[in-house]
Amino acid sequence: MTVSPRWRKVARDLGGHKFRTLLVVLSIAVGIFAITVVMGGRGILLREFETVYGSSVPATISFDVDSADESVVREVERYEGVRRAEGLRSFSVRYTRGDQPSEVLSTGWDTLFVRAMPDISTSGIEKMTLEEGSSWPPATGEIVLERSVNMVADYHPGDIVTVESPGGTRGVLRVTGLVHDINAFPAQFVAGTTGYVSMETLRSLDEPVSFNSIRLVAEEELTQAGASRLAMNIRDDVLVARGLRVLQTYVPEPGSHFLGDIFKGVSLLLLALGVLSLFLSGFLVITTVQAIMAQQVSQVGIMKAIGGRADQVTWMYLVMVAVYGLLAIIVGMPAGAAAGRWFTEFAADLLNFRVTSLAPPPYVVFLGVLVGVGVPLLAAVVPVRLGTRISVVRALNATGMSGTTFGHGLIDRALGLLHGLPRPVALSIRNTFLRKGRLALTLTTLVLASAVVMSVMSVRTSILATVDEVDMWRFDAQFYFAVPQSREAVERIASGVDGVTAVSSMPEYRSVYERSDGTESESIDIIGVRPDSDFVVPRITEGRWLVPGDRAAIVLNEDVTQSEPELVVGTTASFNILGEEREFEVVGVVSAGLMGPVAFAPVEHLDSVTGFPGAATRLQVRTPTGDSDEQARVARSVEQRLEQRSVPVAFTQTSSEQRDQVASQLGILVTFLAIMGVILAIVGVIGLTGTMTINVLESTREIGVMRAIGASHGSVYQIFVAEGVLIALIAWAVGAVVSYPMSWMLLDLLSNAMGLPLTFAFSWPGVGLWLASVTVIAVLASLLPAYRAAQVSVRDAIAYE
Amino acid sequence: MNPAATTSDALIDLRGVVKVYDTGEVPFTALKGVDLSVRSGEFVGLVGKSGSGKTTLINMITGIDRPTEGQVNVGDTPVHALSENELAKWRGRNIGVVFQFFQLLPTLTVIENVMLPMDFCSMYAAAERPERAMHLLEQVEMADQAFKLPSALSGGQQQRVAIARALANDPPILAADEPTGNLDSKTADSVFHLFEELVDAHKTIVMVTHDSDIAARVRRALVVSDGEIIEETVHRPRTERRGV
Repeated sequence: MTVSPRWRKVARDLGGHKFRTLLVVLSIAVGIFAITVVMGGRGILLREFETVYGSSVPATISFDVDSADESVVREVERYEGVRRAEGLRSFSVRYTRGDQPSEVLSTGWDTLFVRAMPDISTSGIEKMTLEEGSSWPPATGEIVLERSVNMVADYHPGDIVTVESPGGTRGVLRVTGLVHDINAFPAQFVAGTTGYVSMETLRSLDEPVSFNSIRLVAEEELTQAGASRLAMNIRDDVLVARGLRVLQTYVPEPGSHFLGDIFKGVSLLLLALGVLSLFLSGFLVITTVQAIMAQQVSQVGIMKAIGGRADQVTWMYLVMVAVYGLLAIIVGMPAGAAAGRWFTEFAADLLNFRVTSLAPPPYVVFLGVLVGVGVPLLAAVVPVRLGTRISVVRALNATGMSGTTFGHGLIDRALGLLHGLPRPVALSIRNTFLRKGRLALTLTTLVLASAVVMSVMSVRTSILATVDEVDMWRFDAQFYFAVPQSREAVERIASGVDGVTAVSSMPEYRSVYERSDGTESESIDIIGVRPDSDFVVPRITEGRWLVPGDRAAIVLNEDVTQSEPELVVGTTASFNILGEEREFEVVGVVSAGLMGPVAFAPVEHLDSVTGFPGAATRLQVRTPTGDSDEQARVARSVEQRLEQRSVPVAFTQTSSEQRDQVASQLGILVTFLAIMGVILAIVGVIGLTGTMTINVLESTREIGVMRAIGASHGSVYQIFVAEGVLIALIAWAVGAVVSYPMSWMLLDLLSNAMGLPLTFAFSWPGVGLWLASVTVIAVLASLLPAYRAAQVSVRDAIAYE
Repeated sequence: MNPAATTSDALIDLRGVVKVYDTGEVPFTALKGVDLSVRSGEFVGLVGKSGSGKTTLINMITGIDRPTEGQVNVGDTPVHALSENELAKWRGRNIGVVFQFFQLLPTLTVIENVMLPMDFCSMYAAAERPERAMHLLEQVEMADQAFKLPSALSGGQQQRVAIARALANDPPILAADEPTGNLDSKTADSVFHLFEELVDAHKTIVMVTHDSDIAARVRRALVVSDGEIIEETVHRPRTERRGV
């Protein structure tokens, strides 16, 4: 079967204009690439996260108790509604590399969250996977570390660590393996590593060989309310009945993960940016197809003059677009799949979970094909129809720029008022507005791309600003004590250290709010503060801060009020502190501050209700300058002095380190935003290059005329580069205006997804950076087409049709 | 009296055709109520200077352009009343158009260009088209260039191919707009000779030209000026002029 001439024309047009084909294919491929990376990455991350997290069997309920043995655990397991229960001991120690038991170290200590279980390898709750090493479970004197330790340090089987318990006992342990525990806090997020030891190892650390935590999995899937009821029943019927003191009951939202908020934020951002990429790609295709139809207009006229109907000619160009789409799929999908795999592995590493399969969900492949063929066809329908419905006489007369009219519209007349410009500059400006329809399409693409890139930069700036503003504490270094210490003593010791200009210490107690329906909230940390302390600068959002004279008053942060809407200013609420119910009046609400659920109460009142007067679990100090090096030096000195005075410090952190830690948590979002910003900038580049290529091609005859009357190559380049730069500058200006509300909306989207108030900060440097970038892009996008056109001889250029 | 007054047995019949172009500030009237009739088998030349309206007039006949007022009837077809699609279909079957700048599709070979109208109008079976195209190329003495691209041909050769393309669906009428305008005199002469042979083969030809030598060789020369036909000259038939 022979191929008819019209389809041969389509085939040869595809192959004969390689640069144009490349541009169109890239325009479509960028959309496929972005969708495949974004939706593929998102789909894989969501699927794998749910799979890995689900298969780890997260605990339905956890109890922190004073001391329990195996019999208590078995009784909990026999309770109706419980499928499995396990006991473990969790506590924090300091640890450092090496075997240095005789030295008093004041530097190089990090925090280790220790978990001891009878047989970790057979644990059926919050299961973990051995990744490196062979000693599993760890024997006495051995420790297995959570693999995220190697995001902040470098540990492998065979390494030796020295640990120091809260009581000051040191022990040497051998690292025998690395595990992946998806339920552990990744080290890079919490400045601390999780390690797993056997119960026998506890003896060497002078820790009681008993459980201080019981976790269980329910038989059926329960809602959070249902799980809370089960938890209270078990607490009362088993734990309290057995004489245990229940310090805390933890009932997480089913299926939630502590990184869930960040994950939601990332996922939503990816979705938003994926949709935007799709729009941009569509606009790019419209612009490019319109330009193709402009180039083909005389051929359309010929075909219609010799008997071709509009629908016949339309199908020819739609088939051409479909072929472009198929070529784009061949280019874009493998590239997108490869980038998606890299992206997924990168994200999974950051979020510390293992990916078992990098195969994208089937719907992503379908979406890629839809984007590759469907979107271009949809985008091309209007310009192709417009191009083929043109009358024969207009089509045959529309050659180069002589086919366009100039001078009649409002814009044209306004441009005519610009006097005194050099002719080449005037020509550039008028050329820019000569093809208003194409200019509008090009600008739409470029404005969108510019707005998104500048918005992405503003969201990044906002995230970093949030990190700066989030902290309501004014300290340079703070020290945590595992065992409560005397406030007076630690303040006195710290005040005597050189470089300390002010001190403040406070107790902090874990509590739960007793809801009106009898269930309990998640854990809320109540911090005892002096109302007039200048170490705390609260950001009041409702009500007031504590004042001298307040007794049973409490100020909550927004993390508490968002999850417990019953708690409003003016209500009296009951909090369980150290096993005792205490009533407080809610007098104010402060911003969340990335602290998690936290509340503040007058320290004197807390002293009286807890029975630990004068206790401190946290000490804060200030230094003269606040410089990070000075902070670190003073922190070491204070810690050393405290150690010398037999006050064991569990954890030390300067405000610079805290800021960096918070920044690293949000840094994931910043990284993703940067990646998407680059992709969208590429879309803008392709769009402008395509438009300038077509503009220059259509001006070939005019270029020939200019050169015939004396224009040098340089003059020709100048005219077209100026045109490209002008288009880019208009897009930048409009894009900058659009980016302000757009970045606010993106930030709001992110904030709601993460349940985290983010400070809005518009990035003016980002606007400047994009201005410089887009100018360079415009120059490059225009130079190459103008160079190619200027190489055509004057004779050929004038004869060009 | 209008020199080109209509008659009822005309193949091409224009009555009161007006064409106004709205170019922005001042409308331009390209045709001012033209009446024209052409009988079957005639060789009519539309002669005039640039801007006289002769191309606009021939575009009315081919349906490439539409009148603002008036009627254009070709055979039994009221061309002025057809939609764009109907026009394209009608044109492919009834009129072969030859342009000044040849207008061959650059990415199709010579024979493919000739086959393209057959492809659009489906008047011949697919298997028949290559053979018919080759036959037409032989008629215009271009068969040996059948598989070359237009860019490899001279102007005169391209115009011969364009004539072959115009004959692809065996239309009764050929409309040629300055077909020799872009050719040297010798080539122009040989191309014009092709048209004369087509007239001898009973084709009806309407040709636009500004060349007085060409104008002298057509059967009827209608002088167009400022949108009106102002003069008609009828020449003796070619056979008589050559003493056949």
